[in-house]
Amino acid sequence: MYGFEALTFNVDGGYLEAIVRGHRAGLLTASDYNNLCQCENLDDIKMHLSATEYGPYLQNEPSPLHTTTVVEKCTLKLVDEYKHMLCQATEPLSTFLEYITYGHMIDNVVLIVTGTLHERDVHELLEKCHPLGMFDSIATLAVAQNMRELYRLVLVDTPLAPYFSECITSEDLDDMNIEIMRNTLYKAYLEDFYRFCQKLGGATAEIMSDLLSFEADRRAVNITINSIGTELTRDDRRKLYSNFGLLYPYGHEELAVCEDIDQVRGVMEKYPPYQSIFAKMSYGESQMLDKAFYEEEVKRLCLAFEQQFHYAVFFAYMRLREQEIRNLMWISECVAQNQKSRVHDSVVFIF
Amino acid sequence: MEEEDDQTLSFSEVVEEQEQRGSEEENVVQFLDSLDSYLTLFDSLSSTLRQGWLELASARHSMGVSRINGTLLDLKPHSAATTLQVSEPDVDYMVGQPHFKLSKWASPNNENCCSEEEKIREDKLQTKSDSPQLRHRSQFSETPATNEAPLMVDDQVQKERSKSLSMFGTLVSPKLRSAQLSFETALETLIEIANMRMTTKGIVWLKRFVNEGFIRSIWCRLKIP
Repeated sequence: MYGFEALTFNVDGGYLEAIVRGHRAGLLTASDYNNLCQCENLDDIKMHLSATEYGPYLQNEPSPLHTTTVVEKCTLKLVDEYKHMLCQATEPLSTFLEYITYGHMIDNVVLIVTGTLHERDVHELLEKCHPLGMFDSIATLAVAQNMRELYRLVLVDTPLAPYFSECITSEDLDDMNIEIMRNTLYKAYLEDFYRFCQKLGGATAEIMSDLLSFEADRRAVNITINSIGTELTRDDRRKLYSNFGLLYPYGHEELAVCEDIDQVRGVMEKYPPYQSIFAKMSYGESQMLDKAFYEEEVKRLCLAFEQQFHYAVFFAYMRLREQEIRNLMWISECVAQNQKSRVHDSVVFIF
Repeated sequence: MEEEDDQTLSFSEVVEEQEQRGSEEENVVQFLDSLDSYLTLFDSLSSTLRQGWLELASARHSMGVSRINGTLLDLKPHSAATTLQVSEPDVDYMVGQPHFKLSKWASPNNENCCSEEEKIREDKLQTKSDSPQLRHRSQFSETPATNEAPLMVDDQVQKERSKSLSMFGTLVSPKLRSAQLSFETALETLIEIANMRMTTKGIVWLKRFVNEGFIRSIWCRLKIP
């Protein structure tokens, strides 16, 4: 029952909530980002990061550094923290933590299938997979020729199996089918995660509903903008939107028929939470939309820590770390390309 | 009498010398103009490439590292989307220098997309020159077929652009499309630079004046190979 988590939560989840709040305190601050933005090269970035929690992961990397190395090593830190929390968690927290990684699993499946279609070596593709989305039989994905085989040979024994019911066909895998498969799987995953959180109830359900609804709405906007000018039909576009969120169902109906960014703006400005996001952009422009969405997401994720005795803090921490890694990637790219004047285009401060 | 002839000769020599000096100065000015255009193109190329690389990084930031990386590049055999044509120099062109031309987004199904576009432009010009401009008062404006043809070519070019990006997925960020346009522009600029270097006037005058200290000092300072 909502309101009585204080009595029982700490029995199973108290230790891990303390751990995750401790990890949260280790997130980079605005002064850390200011120091990083003034670096002249990637070795300077490595030097500044050596004083943070990323230090042990980067200290043994030889010069010259590459931006992908910085991202890989920072991601390894996140993976280590996640695995520690997962092995200490009991049900239902362990299932909740596993749900957080299914998005990465979907990305890895699509990466392997796409790379195989392009005749790339499987080992090369496996190195590029996100470590949080790995599973045992992932290498076998290279054998499948269509989605039915994909499901039957590999994915039937993975947590993604239930999400395949809507996209099992015998059509050969091509670029369009793979894209539709990616978005259909992600839609099914978000809806499943949403239902699971609703079952948990309490503060977890309340806070996760807000966060997942925002995620679903953002995906709807991104799918709309990315599909403008492509061969994706309006019906197919509509089918890729999740069946929950603030925009469901009327916003989705309007987004499905949008043909340019200004029409998307017209739809989104009817919803007060998104008015402030689109108010930051000028007409016809979509470059700053990603940053505006990330800023709104970070705001909501930080608010999750204001309340105790719920699981949303774990989801929020993972997402905040991923945002931090994105920030580090962007700063590294700007420094490597000698374009430090553009560094604030995409950095989102967390604190 | 002989003295008058000597004075006449010296006067004509002076005039000839002045004319020669004038034409040489004109050539120097033309050379410097060509050099200015050449350097402007180089600057333009540099800024376009910088913009393209940053937009690519921005697309990776937006879509994720797993969606944009080198392992997704297609290794299957496929024809080039853009080809370079080297045309033979014209007879009127001073000492044979080839001319480079880009044939963009040419595919087996739609060969020479750009040459088709040029043909349509030529037809349009021909139509305009042949028939007088008539004013149509009908509700549905009679747009001639030549207006639809450029739209069809644009659609085809858009399709070819999307096809080349499809290795990163069908629904890609607008930032990736911007990066593609930037690199496309950079390629066009490179061809302009190559053509400018091949411009006969620049090379001929360069050969003539390379021994001149003034031109040699400019060339060395700019470190142009």
